Amino acid sequence: MNRIYTFKTILWTILGFGAAVGTARFIYGLGVTTNLSDSVPWGLWIGFDVMGGVALAAGGFILTATVYIFRLEKFHGIVRPAVLTAFLGYIAVAVGLLFDLGLPWNIWHMIIFWNPHSPLFEVGWCVMLYLTVLLLEFFPIPAEEFSKLNKLRNFLLKLRLPLVIAGIALSTLHQSSLGSLFLIMPYNVHPLWYSPILPVLFFISAITLGLMMVSFESKFTSWLYRRETETDLLAKLCSAARWVFLIYIIVRFGDLAFRGQLGHLGGGEWQVVMFWVEIAITALIPVILLSIPKIRIAPVWQWIIPMMSIFGIVLNRINVGGLVHINRGNTLYLPSLTEITISASVVAGAALVFLYMVERYKIWEKRPADPNTDPTKIPEFDFASRTSLGTPEVALRTKYSLAFILAAAVGFALLSTENLSSAGTESSPAKEARGWETMWIDGDLDGEGTAFPHAKHIDNNGKEKSCVLCHHMNLPLDNSSQCSACHRDMYLLSDAFGHDRHASASGAGLKCFDCHKKDLTKNADTAKPCKDCHGDLVAEGSTITVENYRTIGYVESMHRLCIGCHSQKADSLEKPDLPRCANCHKEKRTIISPDAGVHPHQYGAEKDNVIFPIVSYNSEQPPDTTNTGSAVENSR
Amino acid sequence: MQAWIEFGQGPLFRLCFVLMILGLIRIFILTIIGMVEALNRNTDKIVPYRDLIQKTLMWLFPIKHLWTKRPFYGLISVLFHVGLLIVPLFLAAHVLMWKNSVGFAWFSIPRGLADWLTIIVIVTGIVLFLMRASSKAGRALSRKQDYIWPLLLVVPFITGYICSNSAIGPAAYQLMMMVHVYSANLIMLMIPFTKIAHCILVPLSQLVTAISWKFPAGAGDMVIETLGYKEYPTWVKKPRLETPVELKVKEEINAE
Repeated sequence: MNRIYTFKTILWTILGFGAAVGTARFIYGLGVTTNLSDSVPWGLWIGFDVMGGVALAAGGFILTATVYIFRLEKFHGIVRPAVLTAFLGYIAVAVGLLFDLGLPWNIWHMIIFWNPHSPLFEVGWCVMLYLTVLLLEFFPIPAEEFSKLNKLRNFLLKLRLPLVIAGIALSTLHQSSLGSLFLIMPYNVHPLWYSPILPVLFFISAITLGLMMVSFESKFTSWLYRRETETDLLAKLCSAARWVFLIYIIVRFGDLAFRGQLGHLGGGEWQVVMFWVEIAITALIPVILLSIPKIRIAPVWQWIIPMMSIFGIVLNRINVGGLVHINRGNTLYLPSLTEITISASVVAGAALVFLYMVERYKIWEKRPADPNTDPTKIPEFDFASRTSLGTPEVALRTKYSLAFILAAAVGFALLSTENLSSAGTESSPAKEARGWETMWIDGDLDGEGTAFPHAKHIDNNGKEKSCVLCHHMNLPLDNSSQCSACHRDMYLLSDAFGHDRHASASGAGLKCFDCHKKDLTKNADTAKPCKDCHGDLVAEGSTITVENYRTIGYVESMHRLCIGCHSQKADSLEKPDLPRCANCHKEKRTIISPDAGVHPHQYGAEKDNVIFPIVSYNSEQPPDTTNTGSAVENSR
Repeated sequence: MQAWIEFGQGPLFRLCFVLMILGLIRIFILTIIGMVEALNRNTDKIVPYRDLIQKTLMWLFPIKHLWTKRPFYGLISVLFHVGLLIVPLFLAAHVLMWKNSVGFAWFSIPRGLADWLTIIVIVTGIVLFLMRASSKAGRALSRKQDYIWPLLLVVPFITGYICSNSAIGPAAYQLMMMVHVYSANLIMLMIPFTKIAHCILVPLSQLVTAISWKFPAGAGDMVIETLGYKEYPTWVKKPRLETPVELKVKEEINAE
């Protein structure tokens, strides 16, 4: 029994360190206690505590499904520990999340403020509901001990099947949705990991991890309490897991092949090495080993294979969760000691509760017996104080609490002074948007920019609701949306002709053969030229000829027409400054009139003479933005 | 030496302070758990709570109680405790250190009052030690830590008073400061593991006595058995305990 005492002492010690670090984290904030930053906001806590934790707890829904739905009664002996592990695992996830959230007291917001577009919203709800389901599934076990709770217990046992089904549904949803979280960042996750079927991969790997976790935990607790291992049962479990491993491998590589990313496998970057290590210990090696029946029942391998696979899949979660992200501000993120301590102590806490439950309630068929609680045992004396510490219960209580406080005190002493002299949580209240009337936008800071009538945009797009139209589009590598995100026709070719308008009764009301000739194919080339009807379309003496019915985007047309003409005239007039930007964009960095967006020339006055910018332009080519004006010249 | 002082005021202080706080909380919780268990084990579950609360409050201010028997001791003891609690917590220099390190602080007492309280603590501490050592009954009741504690508690007060009040050279000052810091740390470190834990256990002490001095029926037999005797040795007078449980057991045996 010394094993279990030593193990518990270690867990309490870890918990003590965690208490010290956790206190510092909540008093002084995330900035000083972690290596997380604005460019690396998700680290070990999300990768391991949340994503790994949820996957580690997948054993619960798999085994309840196996036993209560597929009626494989032989697994009945390990369903209770699996449910307990799942229950505690999810609580650990919630606790771990509290450490990671910047404003943990707002965790309930998702219940009231719904954002149904977010996978995180789904994950949050599913985890919450599944935790409830697990509580209801687990509750009958401790309730056995209290006769007062019999009614409730029987009611819950009747509800078991619906609960199991709900558990499976919820698990399927959120195990995969954790993968969906990363679908939003195709530019960030390394191509070896990013895949449109990340949710599927997450789900399959969660199943394998659940199975492996159940076998590992059974093996470990058997060792801890010196009880008999369910070797045959574990062998069957591993045998089933083998097929899931195989499916995982096929899907993973199939996906890589389908996306054409197999080429990445040959590279020498550290991510590639990481990929191979991960996939090897997750699935490749286990699937080979588990195919050999002798190895499947060998106790040593029953230790090694689950550990290997668990490590591999948790590594996968950490990888997807942030380790292999690219474009992370070129900062290397390594979890700090404090982060590791918190993660370890969350696990230690869950393990302690697990051990308590196992000793107190009927989780296993046979409750572990503690030889020290035998009343005929002669009490032992503490070697230091030479006094009896009392009954084992009292003595252990004394030792564990001592380990806890000593670790906490040492933890506080070891915290760097930087952590402790921090000014604490700096409040940064959300400021109201400045929303100036007109803003000077000069993204590349070259001094050439454009006056952006901000107030006007707000007015035209629905007042305060308009902000999200531009500011929260979350385009990759972009903080606010570009003009062209809304003004899509800004640079695009467009139809200057408007066939439908010419043909419709409410427009020009022309018949087909008013323009097209009867025996010829009806297309632009064979139709009547514009100027036959619109005599004033091309002004007298214009340098522009009509060639087709495409117009370039209005920004381009403005630039090309004006700059083209100006640069042409610059030589003849001997005014080399004529085509310079500053001739038109005079109002640099000054607040200008709300009409700044309008063409500075009196557009309206010349409206009758307006020239359709119909120029010779191949519609297949993208607009040439680098060489403004050339298209006009070419067209002549 | 400066580095050692800073270490004593920094990491070592944090270690000792946290250990003191958590250790006191620990011993408080353990005592309560032990009490609850003892109460559950006891056959006699009657606890005179009102009487206990009265007694506890009375011993918190024992002057009146001691006035009839040992008025001098009562006065000295209360003075010692008052100074011991107030000076370390509310000395302006200490409050300032809290302000600088953790960012919050509380009110402080004026310098003059602090000095007087310090002198009172030093004098009363030494007097308490002498009273214990000089009386025969006191010596008989004392353990080693009972002699050590009054002297140890006085050390940081003496050094603190010297540091703040007398013009000594920088080397001597640092030495005094070092003794001050390290002895205070040592005190904090030892508080939860020695009799000074009474600082948090005072509200419980009367309760513990009332609850735990109730032996379960047949406790004597268990002691004898634990000590390894087959039957009662000759030097033990076998107790005639006829508790309700024993009577009940006897009746059951007779009935069978």
